[in-house]
Amino acid sequence: MIPTDKTSPLSLYRTMLVIRMVEERLAKSHQRGLIHGACHTYVGEEAIATAVCAHLHEADAVFSTHRGHGHALAKGMEPRQLIAELYGRETGCSRGRGGSMHLFAPEIGMMGTSGIVGPCILQATGAGYSSLIMKTGNVGVAFFGDGAANNGAFHEGLNMASIWKLPVLFVCENNQFATEVPFSSVAGNPNVAARGAAYGITSIEVDGNDVLAVEAVAREAVKRARNGEGPTLIECKTYRTRAHAEGMGDFTYRTREDVEQWKTRCPIARLKKHLLNQKLATDAELSAIEGEVAALTEDAHEFAEKSAYPTAESATTHVYSAPRSGPPRDVPASNANTRELTFMKATLEALTEEMARNPKIFVMGEGIGVRGGNFATTSGLFAIHGPERLRDTPICERGFVGLAGGAAMTGTRPVVDFMFADFVLDSVGEIINQIAKMQYMSSGRLKMPVLMRGCIGIGHNAATHHSGSYYSMYAHFPGLRVVVPSSPRDAKGLLKTALTCDNPVLFLEHRELMTVKGPVPEEEYFIDFGTAAIVREGSDITVVALALMVHKTLAACETLAKEGINVELIDPRTVAPLDVDTIIQSVAKTGRLLIVDEDFAHCGISAEIAAQLADRGFDELDAPIRRLNGKPSPTPYSPTLEAAVVPDAAAIADAIRNLCAE
Amino acid sequence: MPIEIQLPRLGWSMEEGKFLAWLKNDGDFIKEGEPLFTLESDKAAQEVESIDSGILSIPATGPKSGDVIKVGHVLGYLLHDGESAPFSNQPAPKTKEPIEAQQPGKKSIHSSAPILLPEKRRTETPASPRARRAAKEHHIDLSELTPSGKGGRIRECDVIAAASAVASTGFKKIPLTSSRRTIAARLMHSRQTTVPVTITGRCDATQLVELRKQLKADGESSANTIVPTINDILVKLTGAALRQHPLLTGVWAEEHILVPDAIHIGIAVDADDTLLVPVIRNADTSTLTQIAAQSQRLIAAARTGKLAAEDMQGACFTLSNLGTLGVEAFTPVINPPESAILGIGAIVREAVPLDDGRFTARDRLTLSLTFDHRVIDGAPAARFLQTLRQLIEQPVLGLV
Repeated sequence: MIPTDKTSPLSLYRTMLVIRMVEERLAKSHQRGLIHGACHTYVGEEAIATAVCAHLHEADAVFSTHRGHGHALAKGMEPRQLIAELYGRETGCSRGRGGSMHLFAPEIGMMGTSGIVGPCILQATGAGYSSLIMKTGNVGVAFFGDGAANNGAFHEGLNMASIWKLPVLFVCENNQFATEVPFSSVAGNPNVAARGAAYGITSIEVDGNDVLAVEAVAREAVKRARNGEGPTLIECKTYRTRAHAEGMGDFTYRTREDVEQWKTRCPIARLKKHLLNQKLATDAELSAIEGEVAALTEDAHEFAEKSAYPTAESATTHVYSAPRSGPPRDVPASNANTRELTFMKATLEALTEEMARNPKIFVMGEGIGVRGGNFATTSGLFAIHGPERLRDTPICERGFVGLAGGAAMTGTRPVVDFMFADFVLDSVGEIINQIAKMQYMSSGRLKMPVLMRGCIGIGHNAATHHSGSYYSMYAHFPGLRVVVPSSPRDAKGLLKTALTCDNPVLFLEHRELMTVKGPVPEEEYFIDFGTAAIVREGSDITVVALALMVHKTLAACETLAKEGINVELIDPRTVAPLDVDTIIQSVAKTGRLLIVDEDFAHCGISAEIAAQLADRGFDELDAPIRRLNGKPSPTPYSPTLEAAVVPDAAAIADAIRNLCAE
Repeated sequence: MPIEIQLPRLGWSMEEGKFLAWLKNDGDFIKEGEPLFTLESDKAAQEVESIDSGILSIPATGPKSGDVIKVGHVLGYLLHDGESAPFSNQPAPKTKEPIEAQQPGKKSIHSSAPILLPEKRRTETPASPRARRAAKEHHIDLSELTPSGKGGRIRECDVIAAASAVASTGFKKIPLTSSRRTIAARLMHSRQTTVPVTITGRCDATQLVELRKQLKADGESSANTIVPTINDILVKLTGAALRQHPLLTGVWAEEHILVPDAIHIGIAVDADDTLLVPVIRNADTSTLTQIAAQSQRLIAAARTGKLAAEDMQGACFTLSNLGTLGVEAFTPVINPPESAILGIGAIVREAVPLDDGRFTARDRLTLSLTFDHRVIDGAPAARFLQTLRQLIEQPVLGLV
């Protein structure tokens, strides 16, 4: 019988066999056309996943690569779930949404394989951060290849894990080829373990084909992590003995002899020899294990082949988490007691309330700790909650956004404070490829409550790296919520919703509004996403505007009222979801639509609103839909140039007059 | 040779029709007998079936929905495999043709084929979508308006101004639909070419009502049968009466009177602001169930605008029932070339004196017969009415 202890030699032997036999089955199935996409096998590298995962609990979180079947199986995924996923079936671990490179089983701490090289390093760091916040003692593990060691994520992730002593294992499976490029040809220092010293991380190099050696190293690393002694970098020298991906040629970049030579170092054969030599097992015992695993693999294949494909109707479910149940949350503006607050104070109030209520919220950013934020976004909170929940970060946007993604995946609620939204662009891959897609890829089993906030907007001569509006770009992608408030009242209510919803949110605050004052209700309230505000009622023309443009349009409205033009002003408040219904209802009244938007016209939110109105409100239109946008150029510095690229009240008034004459 | 698809003539008076929509796509293979497009004639919209097979080829200048097109105009073509369309303004349908056409030395069919010139579209004043909607609601003709928008676009306010100007005269204009024009023309034609006389007579409809109750009860117990209406029974009884008095079905033909062999009876149907008269075939020889089935189909088709032209042709007599709206007697107008029309009044329960001076309650029905005195004299008309009254009073006699 196989001992229940996963670290026992017989258990290690069996786990490696499961990986090997499942991979060989998949290779056959790939040839037979049962696998619809890519299939990267782990043959030759089985010892690493097996030995590391042997020391992990179910609650420890594993983040993997494109070559992740072995990690999933070693973490405890049933072969049935894995094979069914590769066959594209409903019974697969990701319900057919992912395939080989998106294997999810968060119930057992398998937090996903990935088609992108690098993010797993940051996400495992995030899992370590969750462990720190929630005091669970859980460990985050990143498996990655030598190729990822040359990626910025490696640098940023290892540095953050080191400075905060996070319980993380960075397991580099150095199989010597980054896809098909020899690592030695793309690494100035091909010794990955040696790089750990640069970050002050304990680093060990080990023979990755010796399961007992890896087991011993992993045992120490996991112990150190659980004891609060920080992360470990483990470089496992290994080799994959099948092609990069099934169906690909293998001998343009390496030789048959090399591959054959490495096959003689097969980790499974090595352990078998050791077990027999040391009389730890008999031939009969090992044969029995082999027979049992072969039957298990065959059963999994049959199960997968018989399983149904998911229905087409379910193709877009789980893009967002299930909406909050219950009636819309808001307070009646008319009878609420209010006081005058600035935009900044209003959002600070929201964050203060929610951080007091929810201990899983933490904030990351540059200068948001003791300093209290560049825009006082966290003023006073450090004194209450301390450095772990108000975390000053290195300047590595991609790194801490990736970390935030991993933290959200493992149960905490990160708030990333970017200061300026221009900086977010360095982390767009983490936002779009990871955070936005994670709920869907995991078929709704992972929640991604990541709040990302930063300033947008032109008007303070900060030039092009501190003035952009980027909401249209984020609104384009399924999976994200994009909030662009224009008043203190809206900002607080929307931030409260952002801090309590399960979807990732971009919360973009216009720099010129930070000190604008307005009435904010005394009592607690929330403003649901996807509900536009009718800022001003009117009958002649509908103007849709966001953020600062709401205020500039209001100024124009006063002039126009004297001329007899009565403007109805709508503020969508959230760009995604977009409340088109309210705009259509307004246009049904006025017959005219002008969209005033500081962002660029082409492919922007103004184009989206115009298209939806032309489609759904065609018969309501008494004139063409018109847009007034910022000029399509980077934001210039000089005041005269800056003023020329953004609509002002006079330009808005002219546009309204012109459209009313159409 | 490409087969031309022409706008068909759907009825004797049809000169043009309103093209509604293709039911097939360009490049589809069409089998003979498959519905090809929908067309609105004087009275109704109907599906037109293809009379040939081939690959449908629609020119870019082909008919658009709502175009009014003369009968015989070519709408498109049916092509054989490999054949190209006789117009050059769009790519050939999915056939091997483009490859063949590129072969050197082979003369393109395009150059020798006649090129269809696009029909000039009426130049319209541009109007905003909202103005178009308002014009429809207020029955305003956009072409009569002076546009106030930039570039000469009619705006909603122009329509509203016109509508309120019309309102101040105390009238609003309702534009004539083509079916309203047709109805008006036909009624005027009737008045000018016949010598109508109307006679009325009352009859006891108690047994008719009983019979209908009985049929309804039978129908409910057997679930899926069609239950004949009072009107269906009256069609059947009228058929029987007409068989005994064929002169009532005669047509004045200047030199002689034509009496048709078959007795087809039109029934007037009030449908969506228009009046349609679909025709029940062989009212005298059909069973009551057959009549009920015919009328059910025809009335449903009339109400949904799907009556075919032939559904409204060939009647020799018409029934018009205003009884359900409470009218007791009226003077129906003859539908030429027919010579007589029967108006059915309301069935009213009345006290009827018995011989002993007491009263009893009976269902009473008034019949109003209008006939063309050129064809029929008063006495034969009255005798027809008498026969029909007797049949209504003892309906079972007329149903066997």
